[in-house]
Amino acid sequence: MPGELFALTGSDNYFEDFQPGAVYEHARGKTVTEMDGVLICNMVMNTAQGHFNEDIMSRSPQGQRIVFGGVTIAMVIGLAMQDTGEQALAELALDQVRLRTPVFHGDTLYAYSKVLDVADADRPDAGVVSFLHQGYNQDGKLVFEGERRVLVKRRSHWGER
Amino acid sequence: MSEDLREAAVRWPKGHQYEDFEPGQVFEHHWGRTVNEGDNSLFSSLTLSYNPLYFNAEFAREHGHDGLVVNPTLVFVTVFGLSVEDLSEAGGLFLGVDDLSFESPVHPGDTLTARSTVVDKRESDSRPESGIVTWHTEGFRQDGTRVIQFRRTNLVARRREGT
Repeated sequence: MPGELFALTGSDNYFEDFQPGAVYEHARGKTVTEMDGVLICNMVMNTAQGHFNEDIMSRSPQGQRIVFGGVTIAMVIGLAMQDTGEQALAELALDQVRLRTPVFHGDTLYAYSKVLDVADADRPDAGVVSFLHQGYNQDGKLVFEGERRVLVKRRSHWGER
Repeated sequence: MSEDLREAAVRWPKGHQYEDFEPGQVFEHHWGRTVNEGDNSLFSSLTLSYNPLYFNAEFAREHGHDGLVVNPTLVFVTVFGLSVEDLSEAGGLFLGVDDLSFESPVHPGDTLTARSTVVDKRESDSRPESGIVTWHTEGFRQDGTRVIQFRRTNLVARRREGT
C-alpha cells in the first residue's frame, strides 16, 4: 500500500493514551433511521416482525416498530469506535450489556465511554483496554450500557509503522 | 368472485413460548448465513464503525489477514439474528447479554451457523404474562471453529389459555 499505515488512522487513541477513570463524550450522534433499523435487522436474519411490521406494531402498546436491540448495541459501540477501537487489533469481549429503554426509528443516540482498566496483553505490541460504554437518546434517557474489552495497538510499536 | 383464502387459512406458527424451554435443551438454529463483503462494508459504514480492518482490504492485509475482517459486532448480531425464531420471536423484550467473547476472526465469504442451549428460566414478578429465559448461544464458522459465544436474556411470552 502506498504511504505509511499509521497515516490512515488517528494519533491520539493508542494503548498509551488510555488512563483508567478517564471519561469521554464521543463527538457524533446518530439518528437511527428506518433504513438503519430495518436493513440491519433483516440483513442479519432476525425474524421478529416487531422490528419490521409497522401495521402489527401500530396496534401494540408501543404504537410503532421497535429497533432491534442488536442495532442499538452496534450503533452505540459504532459511535465510540473511532476513539476506542480504530487502533484495535481485535475485539475481545462484551459483558453486562443491558438495554434500558426501547429505541424507535427517528431517535438519536449519543455515546459515552469510561476507561475501566488497562492491562498488558500476551503480545508486546498491544495492550488490553476495558471500557464501560453508555448510549443516551435525545431525551437524555439511558438506552444501552455495557462493558467491552479491546486489544489496542501500542504507539511504541505501531505509531510510525 | 375468487375464493378469499383468509377465511379457511390456518396460521403457520413460528417461534417458541416460555413453557417450551427447559434448561439443558439445545437448539441447532436454521439457515446459517454467509457473510459477504457487501454486508460487512454496509454494516460497518452504517454503524460508523471506523476501524479500517473492516473496510480497507490493503490495511487488513498489512495486519496479517488475507483481506477484510468481518466487523465483530456484525458477527454478534448475525449469530443473534439466526437464533431469533427459535428463541425470542414469539415476543418479549431483549434484556441483555453477558460473558460474550470473540474467539476467532471471521472473513467475508465465511459462513456462520448458530446453536443455543437453555441455561435458565424463571417467572417474572412484574410481568405475569412473561417469563425470563437465559440462553447460551454459540456461533461457528464453516470449518467448525467457534467464533463467538455469549449468554442472552429475554422476556418470553407465556402461553395464554387456548393457544
